[in-house]
Amino acid sequence: MVYLAAAAQHNDLAKVRAEKPELWRHVRRYNQPVQLALAAADEVMRFSENPSTAAVISLAPCQPGSADLYRWGNVVTAGMATGTLGNLRMNPTQTLHAVDNLAMSAFAIAHANHAYCLGLGGAAGQAWCGLEAVHERLNGLEEEALLMAGDQDAAEDGSPGLGVALLFSTRAKPYQPLDRTVRLVSVARSRKIVDVVPHAANGLAALLSSIAQHRSGLLSYVVPPEHTDGFSTVTVTLEIS
Amino acid sequence: MHTKHRVVITGMGALSALGATTRDLWDGLLANRSGVRRVQRLIDSGITVTAGGEVDAVSPENVDRDHEIANRAIDDALVESKRDAGECGFIWSTGLDTFQKGPSGFVHRSAGRCFTNLASRFSAPRRMIAAACASGTQAIGEAFRLIQHGQVEACVAGGSSVMLTPFYLIGFAGLQAVAVDNGDDPSLACRPFDKKRKGFALADGAGAMVLETLESAQERVATVFAEVIGFGVSQDAFDLNRPCDDGAGAELCMRRALADAELSVEQIDAVNAHATATYSGDLAEAAALRKLFGNRWRTVPVSGSKGAIGHAMAAAGVLEAIVAAQTCATGVVPPTVNLRHVDEGCELDHVIGEPRDIDAEKVLSVSFGMGGQNAAVILSRGSNG
Repeated sequence: MVYLAAAAQHNDLAKVRAEKPELWRHVRRYNQPVQLALAAADEVMRFSENPSTAAVISLAPCQPGSADLYRWGNVVTAGMATGTLGNLRMNPTQTLHAVDNLAMSAFAIAHANHAYCLGLGGAAGQAWCGLEAVHERLNGLEEEALLMAGDQDAAEDGSPGLGVALLFSTRAKPYQPLDRTVRLVSVARSRKIVDVVPHAANGLAALLSSIAQHRSGLLSYVVPPEHTDGFSTVTVTLEIS
Repeated sequence: MHTKHRVVITGMGALSALGATTRDLWDGLLANRSGVRRVQRLIDSGITVTAGGEVDAVSPENVDRDHEIANRAIDDALVESKRDAGECGFIWSTGLDTFQKGPSGFVHRSAGRCFTNLASRFSAPRRMIAAACASGTQAIGEAFRLIQHGQVEACVAGGSSVMLTPFYLIGFAGLQAVAVDNGDDPSLACRPFDKKRKGFALADGAGAMVLETLESAQERVATVFAEVIGFGVSQDAFDLNRPCDDGAGAELCMRRALADAELSVEQIDAVNAHATATYSGDLAEAAALRKLFGNRWRTVPVSGSKGAIGHAMAAAGVLEAIVAAQTCATGVVPPTVNLRHVDEGCELDHVIGEPRDIDAEKVLSVSFGMGGQNAAVILSRGSNG
């Protein structure tokens, strides 16, 4: 059995900076999607029995990088065209902003986590692959799994972002915001071509919203087409006590 | 308890600095030849790092180069396997976003969109792996796991990378990870485990494998190149830019792969190492392998491929697993190209100068990614029985 134990969402880095200075010191070098994902993960791991042994499944942003990185990228592409790059240097912090598995690595360092890890890339609909992976791992391999994602509307201009984290457990714990158990029953797919809006975190946020609105019993959540990978209809079935 | 399926490799495709086929890759390694050379488009950009592992099969002027390189490796693997994409899952890494020369200048290419386009002709599961330099190996391992547990009958697994651009070369140079030009022969740029190593040569490339159940391979009378028998991953949880000195994270993923395969370390015949030729990476990897093998470390042949093809990032792990599969099939361990004088702290049973025919049947292939993501797979000589 796989249960949703806790979930958190963050979209306000100023609040993280003001209210969690220790966390901010840890994440301040990173780009916005990573900062938001780690802030959400930090919150849900308070409910973990052992953060160092939980499986970690992390979604890379569909809009990677940062405004600084994109500005630097523009300098490079202009120099590439004119052959004038010479001894141009890159700020190592901006190098980090290009790394797609950064949130997973930073989480592992913060929580001394050496457990199973799966980084999923910044393509549309990978959130549901992450949910499938949670189901696989908690079927006899681990007892807890973290699924986290951070993304932004666009990287070039510092536009809004969202971080989401979900903690799953094999134990029937009450899901914290509702104080009821939420069991992940299945993730099912059928082939269908649709248009998508790639974003690592929005799909999971919409799922959490649907859980919050459901009273009890089986919830058959049909993922909105724009949150899928473009080739599947995805149905997530949950049982809420 | 579900019955675990045996998982075999029935098709492979490789585009690398050594050529556009798996045969080119294997023959180049056996000949102890490096495909790394000066790359004209890097010279043209004016940067100081100009040695790289170029893929000649697809023009650098092709704006769809990221798709083309990946698709050629995928198609070669599917043709060899005689499988249709529509009956396979797709576990793949397209690496990081890149820049490609277009008719009106350089354009940003999204790795996510590249994956989505590649995935369109496959069935579910369609998973994009993001584990830095460990991505290709983890893609194979994840596909292995899904097939083993009956969630899909066949998968194409692998990775592709078109990061041989000034953007990434400048970034990696800042981390002191790439070999900076100093007038040497560019083919010597990447020297894994060598006293003169100074980092890797960045490379483009793609590697693809068709994995399927042994039952389906037998039913289709497909050629089996090797069997995947174990998979392990771990995180260093140590530092974003360098491995822990004793290679503890690397050792952990290798031990997990052995446990998964239900093998003892004595049953491993050879290792295809990550071997990036970075100062700290090679030391940590050698330390991890010595600890893993204990008393046997002087007698287990170790070979790395990056001296010959450079570091193809998301493709690296699968290109190296293709080499490991060839070792399983032939028993021959290729040499580590450009390794001449083993550095202090890097001591292992290195294969130097010429291939070694030891009738190797079980090969450990490992990848260690930036940020501390580690992955290992164990391949075994294939059979149809």
